[in-house]
Amino acid sequence: MQDNTTSASDMRRTGGRLVIFGIASILALLIGAALLLFLALPDAGAFDAHVERMFVENTDITSQAEIKLLEILAQSGTAFADTLASYRLVIYTLLVFATAMMIAALVFLILIVGFNRRLAQIERAGIQVNSLLISREENTVYLNNLGFKLTDATMETMSVLAESRMDDDVLSGSEIEAVISGRSAADCDEAAGATRIKRLRDILGNQIVSELLVKNIARRGYMLAVEKDVIKVL
Amino acid sequence: MKNFALSLTLTLCLSSMATAQCFADYKAKQDNPLRLHYGVAKISGPCSVADAKSELAHRIAINGWTVLKVMSVFGSDGLDQRKDSAGQYYLRF
Repeated sequence: MQDNTTSASDMRRTGGRLVIFGIASILALLIGAALLLFLALPDAGAFDAHVERMFVENTDITSQAEIKLLEILAQSGTAFADTLASYRLVIYTLLVFATAMMIAALVFLILIVGFNRRLAQIERAGIQVNSLLISREENTVYLNNLGFKLTDATMETMSVLAESRMDDDVLSGSEIEAVISGRSAADCDEAAGATRIKRLRDILGNQIVSELLVKNIARRGYMLAVEKDVIKVL
Repeated sequence: MKNFALSLTLTLCLSSMATAQCFADYKAKQDNPLRLHYGVAKISGPCSVADAKSELAHRIAINGWTVLKVMSVFGSDGLDQRKDSAGQYYLRF
């Protein structure tokens, strides 16, 4: 059954298609404008043809001076046609620049919308771990550059979990206990591993919450580390 | 005899008509850049506008000109009034 909600990735896909269609239509318009510009305007021959017709149709134009004048008329027409061609080029260049600007503006607008959506998603998702750095010497774990002190035992648990994650493994409680104590997994108790995990969670969770939410200001007391206006009480 | 005299005068008449000179005035052009001229030329073939046009077209095409229109054909009595207008193209081709 088709889901009736729209996800962010759907929006991104349709948005991308829309951008491609938009740019294609802009290009088509540009090519159309170019064809119109270069085909619709008269060429240099039009002036000559007109002068020639005048010469033929007016039977009384026979004197040399009059004919010379007609020739000059045709030449000035040709000169004007050259000017027109250069104008046409200038107009087209400007058109291309303007369209390029428009496309750039459109792309940036779409990018901004996309970034806004992504930012909102991140804000809603809460804390997202971008880096996990384990320093065995200091017995410290750095999550997104926030340092958390661990005990030796919890440090061991953390290292075991990190290594198994790098190997894409899932460890049971007895396996964790086996790796840390050095015995075989069959001899280890599931509960012993679960206790190690609990201790790790307690020590890390406590520090994360005190860093992100319940702050301790030295010699003054405690305070929630959130903005005033995000708090609502039901 | 009378018949012979008639035919003689007829042939004399025809020959005198054939020997009467025929001229045409015309308008011609050259392209790129457009150049125009009005000229007068002697026609050696039949003395009509259409024949003069085909004859002239061949003759002046050598110099790169194109006949636009043959205005009229006339005898030697019409030459003087057109001499000034034709200028350098007076009997040039």
